[in-house]
Amino acid sequence: MTKTFDGRPAVEDVSFAVREHEFVAVLGPSGAGKTTLFRCVSGLLAADRGIARIGGDDISALRGRARRRVAIVFQQFNLVSRLTALENVLAGRLGHVPAWRGWLRRFDRQDRLLALECLDRVGLLAHAAQRSDRLSGGQQQRVAIARALVQRPDLIVADEPVSSLDPNASAGVLELLRGIARSDGVGVLCSLHQVPYARAYADRVVGLSHGRVVFDVPTERFDRTAFEHLYGELGTANVAASVA
Amino acid sequence: MTPAEQVLAELDGARRGSARLRAWLIGLTVITFYAVAWHLAGVDLSRLATGLPKLAHWIGQAWPPKIAEIPMFAQRTAETVAIAAIGTTLATLLAIPMAILASRNITPLPSIYYPARWFLNGLRGIDSFVFALLFVAAVGLGPFAGVLGIALHTWGSAAKLFADHIENANLGPFEAVRTTGAGRFASILYALVPDILPVLLSTALYLWEFNIRASTVLGIVGAGGIGQELKNSMDLLDFARLFTIIAVILVVVTTLDQLSSWLRRRLI
Repeated sequence: MTKTFDGRPAVEDVSFAVREHEFVAVLGPSGAGKTTLFRCVSGLLAADRGIARIGGDDISALRGRARRRVAIVFQQFNLVSRLTALENVLAGRLGHVPAWRGWLRRFDRQDRLLALECLDRVGLLAHAAQRSDRLSGGQQQRVAIARALVQRPDLIVADEPVSSLDPNASAGVLELLRGIARSDGVGVLCSLHQVPYARAYADRVVGLSHGRVVFDVPTERFDRTAFEHLYGELGTANVAASVA
Repeated sequence: MTPAEQVLAELDGARRGSARLRAWLIGLTVITFYAVAWHLAGVDLSRLATGLPKLAHWIGQAWPPKIAEIPMFAQRTAETVAIAAIGTTLATLLAIPMAILASRNITPLPSIYYPARWFLNGLRGIDSFVFALLFVAAVGLGPFAGVLGIALHTWGSAAKLFADHIENANLGPFEAVRTTGAGRFASILYALVPDILPVLLSTALYLWEFNIRASTVLGIVGAGGIGQELKNSMDLLDFARLFTIIAVILVVVTTLDQLSSWLRRRLI
């Protein structure tokens, strides 16, 4: 897949796959093309050459309700701040229910129960009736994950879901995403900035640099060489210093 | 019962109880409010029904327009635009110091924050039209009374809007400059003004637009501008003249609105 802006390639000949039950982390320095790649995979942007497919279907061609097959978790959560946690989670059902239910924010018992069960899974059942802007950052991201869950997607795309969270909340969020991949058979594609998180949670690591995939390896084979490939010598020196 | 079912039952229970009562009370209050307002406002649809044909008849008399008088109308409209321009500029200049006093975050005299706000609310609460009425009595008939009326009311509006912008401004840079040892006034000029100046200018232009429209009626109380001609035509039931004036006002106001909003887009 290739996508250029004003003749400058943002991602070039990028190709990889995410399988069911798999948590794939994408690593890469700022400007490597992660955001462009994720916007293409989310169907928010069409690639110039090549296709992002889900099952056999072109993701950018998914229209209307079919879009529910890809759920997105955003860096800035993107919850409706004046709605409760439960109402935010129920937004994930909008691709399943008749439109009028969305207009009136009226969902049937089954959907509400499903939403509450998902809130329970992310550990926020007790906060169901709370306005989402009253929740902490980590809690808000977990509500967003519950919203992605009730969507019943085939793929969850998470664009730097933990960049604005503290280490504790980050670990919780990544733990959840991995658990969802494992038990629900959903593929999770997640971009990260911190290498240790990728090591701890991902099944596979894809390295992106200057718009190209520089490696695509199982996590246990992600080593020093791969790291240098991605961030260069200076980055390694810094890590070495912080370890020492 | 699973935990989720339990929470669902609780949520539904809450909705059935006090929340439902509250929704009813709010609904009832709103309906009562509108019923009383409808009555007080003397809404009478039958009078509208008999009045509309009259209006249509007048519009029928509007043709041909009074072309010969257009230069005079244009001059009086220019007077209206001038009243708005001078009044708004005066108000904007007066508003700057008042806005600083009425901004909780940068005022040098916190003790007069509230009095400053009350003063501005007072100015804002009295319309230009009412001020103009007073000034016609004080300084005599003519556009100058209109200028003073516009200036005084707009002083209140402008200072309040400016102060709100200042209170919402990001104070980080201001504090950073303060910590370098710069004085309060220097810090305001250095760190705050570059940030908020475009918004303030845009607000001033918007107020000018607004005041042009407000000034068209000032002539009715003898405070200059096209309003005087408007009232004369209505008193004489000269509808051709009346509609010609309205057309001139529309052309001028729309043109200046466009100009002003173009300028405002360039500013921000």
